[in-house]
Amino acid sequence: MIRTGILGIDEMLGSGIPQGTRVVFSLEPGVDGRPFFFRILQTVLDDGKNALVIAPQTTEKAFFSDFYQLTGMDPGQAKGKVTILDSSTRNRINSVHRGQKSRLKAWKDCIRETVESRGVAVMFLYLDLLYEDFGFEGALSLIPSKKESPGLTTIVEHLNLEGDSLISRFASESLFDMVISVHSDISSVPFFNFFTLEYVSWGRMPRRSVPYTFTGKNIRLYIPKIIVTGPPSSGKSTFIANASDTGLSADRGDMDGFRTTVAMDLGWLHLKGFDITIFGTPGQPRFDPIITRIVKNAMGIIMVIDATRPDTFPRARELLTLAYAARIPVVIAMNKADLPHSLDEHTVREGLKLRDDVPIFFISSLKRSDVHDVLESMIDRITRT
Amino acid sequence: MYTYKTGIRLIDEPKGGISPGSNILVLAPSMSSGERLGYAVARPKTGEYAIILSTIMRSVDLLDFFSSARLDPSPIGIIDTVSKLSTPDITDTTQVKYVSSPSDLTGIGIKLTSIVESIFSGDFGSSDQSLFPPPIRFYVDSLTTLLMYRRLEVIYQFLHVITSKLRKMEAIGIYSLNNESFDERTISLIKQLMTVVIEVKNEQHGDFLRVRGMPGITQEWVPFQVREEGLEVIM
Repeated sequence: MIRTGILGIDEMLGSGIPQGTRVVFSLEPGVDGRPFFFRILQTVLDDGKNALVIAPQTTEKAFFSDFYQLTGMDPGQAKGKVTILDSSTRNRINSVHRGQKSRLKAWKDCIRETVESRGVAVMFLYLDLLYEDFGFEGALSLIPSKKESPGLTTIVEHLNLEGDSLISRFASESLFDMVISVHSDISSVPFFNFFTLEYVSWGRMPRRSVPYTFTGKNIRLYIPKIIVTGPPSSGKSTFIANASDTGLSADRGDMDGFRTTVAMDLGWLHLKGFDITIFGTPGQPRFDPIITRIVKNAMGIIMVIDATRPDTFPRARELLTLAYAARIPVVIAMNKADLPHSLDEHTVREGLKLRDDVPIFFISSLKRSDVHDVLESMIDRITRT
Repeated sequence: MYTYKTGIRLIDEPKGGISPGSNILVLAPSMSSGERLGYAVARPKTGEYAIILSTIMRSVDLLDFFSSARLDPSPIGIIDTVSKLSTPDITDTTQVKYVSSPSDLTGIGIKLTSIVESIFSGDFGSSDQSLFPPPIRFYVDSLTTLLMYRRLEVIYQFLHVITSKLRKMEAIGIYSLNNESFDERTISLIKQLMTVVIEVKNEQHGDFLRVRGMPGITQEWVPFQVREEGLEVIM
C-alpha cells in the first residue's frame, strides 16, 4: 500500500492506495492541489521510496522551493530520492524533436528510462501542459503500462476545465483506479474546500464528499455536524462531554432539581483523522421546534437512550422522525448499560423499529472509550458506507 | 447593487459605472496607452480591492509603478508570473503571490483564490467601507502573454471558469489584449466572454478609444490620456 499521509483519506481507503494503481486528483480551477500532492510525495519519501515528478509547468528549483515551504521537509531527506522532469525537459524535447509523435516518444523514453534506472515506486504527473501538447489520450499514454512497470503507482494532478463530464469519463472508461475531484467554493464564503471521492476500482465505496481545511502543513478533513439526540435524562450531555476534546453546555436546573439541557451542547474533537463538531439537542418535547433546525446539514445522528428505560422508546422514535434519521447515518448508543435491568439488543431493535443495519452499542457514557467506539462507528458510516 | 466606476467619463456619466460580474476587454495595439488604460480602469476606488495578474512586469516593478503614480498599493494584490523564473526561492506574501510561469494556469487559479480569501477574511489591506462581498477588480495584464504560452481553446476555457467565479464574487474582470498579435478568430472568441470592449488606437495626435457593448453610449472614437499621477483617464 502507498500511504497518502492524509489521515482521513487513508482512513476512508482502508490504509492507502494499492501499489501499481493510477490515481487522479481532478482540480477545479482555483483549487490548491499542491497540499495533496506534496503530502503524498512527502509520505512516499518518508517511507523510503523513490519518486519521479513530471512537472513541465515549472522548474526543478521552483518546485522544490514550494515543496519545502509547504511541507517543512528537510531538503536532505529528498536528496537522491526524487527525480524531476521539469520545464527544461519539455523545452529540450520540443527543441530537439519536431512533430507531436516524435516528442511523445521522447517523453515516453525519458520516463521509462528514469523509472527503471532510479527504481521509481511512485510517479507524480502534472497533466495540464502535457494534455495540451499531446491531447488527452496522448498525455495518458505517458504513464507506463502495468506490463512495462508493474508496481509503479501513478498520481496525476489535472486542472479540470471541462467539468463533470470529464470526471464521469475518468470513472466510466476505467482510466484511473481512483478519481478524486477537488473543489473550492468562491461565493459569500470563499474558503469552503471539499473533495469528492468519485470512484475507486479496488473496493465498493460510494461517491462521497468531505470538507477539508489546511492547518499549518497538514490537510485536515472535517465533519461539520454530528447530532447527538435522545429522550430527556438519557445522558446526552455526559456523552458529549466525554466525547469531546473541548465543549460547551447550556443547561439549567429543572423543577425536580435535575440538570437539563435548554439550548444545545457543543463539542469538538479530533478522531480518526477528522475534526468533528458535535451538536447535542435538548431532549424535552418543548424544544422540538429547534431540533429540526439543528439537524439541518447534519452528516450523522447518534441517538442516546437509557438502556434501563423502555418507557422512553416512544420519545426516541419521535426524535428519530424529527431528525429525519431515515436519510442520514444513525448509530444507537444504549447508555447506562452497566446498570441492572439493562435491555437486550433484540428488545431495543424491536422497540425502536430499527433496520438491521443500524448499529447499537451498549455503553456507559461515563467511559470515554465507550463513547469513542460509538463515534468511530459513526465516522465509518459517514465515510465508508 | 454596487456599481464599479471605470474612470471613463463616457461610461460613468450615462450609466453610473458597470455592474458586478462584468468583464472589460481593453483591445489595444502595441506602443499605445492601452495597458495603462487597463491599470486606470483596474485602479481600486475607496473601499475596493484590485488583484493584478502580471505576466509582463515583476511585482517589484509594478509596486514601483504604483508608487510613482502615487497610488496606495495596500488594497492591491499581485499575482506575479515573472519573478519566480529568475528567483525560484521567492516566497509569497499576503499581497504578492508568485507563480512559476504564465503557462501555469493551475498556479494562477490557486493564487487568485488565495488573495480573494485574504480579502474576504479581512486580512488584506484596509478598507474604509465594510461592503460585502468586498468589491474586487481583477486585471489580467495581459491576455497576450497567456495566449503565447497556451492554446486559445485552453485560455478560453480557463477564462470561462474565471469569469463565472468573478460573477459569483460580484467582482469585475479587466483584460488587456494586443489586437495586432492575433487573428480575427482569436479576438472574436475572447470577445465572447466580455461584456464591454474598449478599443484603443494610436494616431499622430494621440490615443483614442471607443466603447463597444454598452447600448446608449457613443461608438465614436474619442481622444484620451492617462494621467501619470493617480492613473486618471482624461478625455
